[in-house]
Amino acid sequence: MAQKRLMQGNEAVAEGAIAAGMTFFAGYPITPASEVLQYLVRRPEVRAIQFEDEISSVCALVGASLAGAKAMTATSGPGFSLMQEGIGLGHMMETPFVIVDVQRVGPSTGMPTLPAQGDVMQAAYGSHGDYFPIVFYPNSVQELYEYTIHAFNAAEESQSPVILLSDGYLGHLYETIEMKRNARLRKRKRPPLGVGGRHFTGLTSVDNTPTPQNPEAHRRMIARLQAKQRKVGARYAHYEYISNRKADTLVVCFGSLSRAVMPLADRYAIFRPILLYPPIEEFSEIAKRYKKVVVVEMNAGQYVRVVQRLMRRTALSLPMIGGDLDVLRLEERLKWITTAS
Amino acid sequence: MDYDSFLRTDRLPTSWCAGCGNGTVLRAIIEAAHRLGWDASNTVAVSGIGCSGRTAGYFSFDSIHAVHGRAVPVAEGIKLHRPELNVILVSGDGDLCGIGGNHLLHAARRDTNLNVVLVDNEIYGMTGGQTAPTTPLGTKTITAPDGAWEKPFNVQGVIKAHGAFYARSTTWHVRHLAKCLDAAFRHPGFAFVDAKSQCTSNYGRRLGYRTAYDMLEHFKTAYRINDGAQTLADDEIGITA
Ligand SMILES: Cc1ncc(C[n+]2csc(CCOP(=O)(O)OP(=O)(O)O)c2C)c(N)n1
Ligand SMILES: [Mg+2]
Repeated sequence: MAQKRLMQGNEAVAEGAIAAGMTFFAGYPITPASEVLQYLVRRPEVRAIQFEDEISSVCALVGASLAGAKAMTATSGPGFSLMQEGIGLGHMMETPFVIVDVQRVGPSTGMPTLPAQGDVMQAAYGSHGDYFPIVFYPNSVQELYEYTIHAFNAAEESQSPVILLSDGYLGHLYETIEMKRNARLRKRKRPPLGVGGRHFTGLTSVDNTPTPQNPEAHRRMIARLQAKQRKVGARYAHYEYISNRKADTLVVCFGSLSRAVMPLADRYAIFRPILLYPPIEEFSEIAKRYKKVVVVEMNAGQYVRVVQRLMRRTALSLPMIGGDLDVLRLEERLKWITTAS
Repeated sequence: MDYDSFLRTDRLPTSWCAGCGNGTVLRAIIEAAHRLGWDASNTVAVSGIGCSGRTAGYFSFDSIHAVHGRAVPVAEGIKLHRPELNVILVSGDGDLCGIGGNHLLHAARRDTNLNVVLVDNEIYGMTGGQTAPTTPLGTKTITAPDGAWEKPFNVQGVIKAHGAFYARSTTWHVRHLAKCLDAAFRHPGFAFVDAKSQCTSNYGRRLGYRTAYDMLEHFKTAYRINDGAQTLADDEIGITA
């Protein structure tokens, strides 16, 4: 049975998290993500705590998750930056939880109320060292709901922090969605704290014992983590592909900006990854069918590097920065870049 | 009592220098946990980063070695989700009062039922002896060659300002330290034990103490027990009212 409701994107994330069995939420207010916290504090089935900052919020998730909770936080760029060390810790301790980043214009305080996609690189590379996060980026309120559930499941399967990207436009967008009951939920693999003898540490370890000067152990650990993340990521290699036999150009887009690209499907083929990392390998085959590939994103050109690496050739980069989501300007600039090159 | 059942004996010897106070604190915590019947089924240990930050990993309880300064919020996440677990947090002065200072005062304010033991050696031991927030005024360190010029962090003030439990002891006064830990572990809210401890390798020897024993002798003469005081003076140890 499905229930239909008019809902804001941030609320859909909160509802998706509840449907996924979340019991612990920690967060700090920030535009345009605050509604997630505000919504959840009113729900009796969730322990939702407003912490003193985003550093403590993400670290509380590590503790709560090890203690057995399905846990989440929601933030925006400035807070996401503060969470990076905790995210790395979550990867080293193999701790499942979900981080929602409702992107706004940066760097720094930027333009807090306007949407952006400037954290696409940070989502995968923001913490130090080698780690391989699973990152989703839906483009509607319905998808925010569904991919919050997927994010929780992927977190349990990979035992790692999973990132759900959203943006200021999607977060504040109202759409009617169908809330599916009885979603398939993944259970925790590891018994919660209270067993004894286990040591969870950010130090490179072998069999529960830190080995901070063992290069071979570190290489084995990283290889194992990378293989695990790839394997779980591949199960969620979701994308939308609109082929166009008449077109010589494939436009790659994601998140709210992809909504503005869709009406141009008569002129271009469109590829919209919903899983941003690990990158969708199938894309390289799809890209071969088109002479040109344009990556349009609300940043100065971040995901284009991932796309180029997948295709092993050059792509055109079309930055749409400024947070104004101007459809006519997008159409014009797409036309300009595909004819000029 | 059977100490081994509380220890990850496969990890011994510890990474600590000979004469370090961390072992004394570890032992005192084990004895206090034993007295209360705490064991691996109901207790978790958490530490941050530093020499004292290694403490959690030597308990046979499930243990967490958080990132620098973040032991408190990690512990709060555990306690808020599973209130039935006893959470023992052991960490250093740099970790708890420096980089993690903001979390400390907010956890005290929230009165989260944590048992926090500060191994207060007045120095950043692990990184080689740099000035800590607790380094006394005028004391020379490798980053304060002319003596620390800032007033030390008032841990007692921060904890007590929020109405939480505060006790101070030293690694010389082991019976008194045990008493402080017992009271702290029984306290139903946020409890903080400030355990003055010796670091000879990266602190004491540069200040003219030849051995760990010299530093312990200093604790013995420098501190006077004053249990029940509203506020402890700098030269006093005790369980505050
Ligand atoms: C974010 C971060 N900054 C700096 C460090 C380096 N670091 C490791 S331990 C430490 C100081 C620890 O001092 P304290 O907490 O007093 O512990 P002690 O070694 O004295 O027991 C520092 C600065 C780090 N690990 N992480
Ligand atoms: Mg110290």
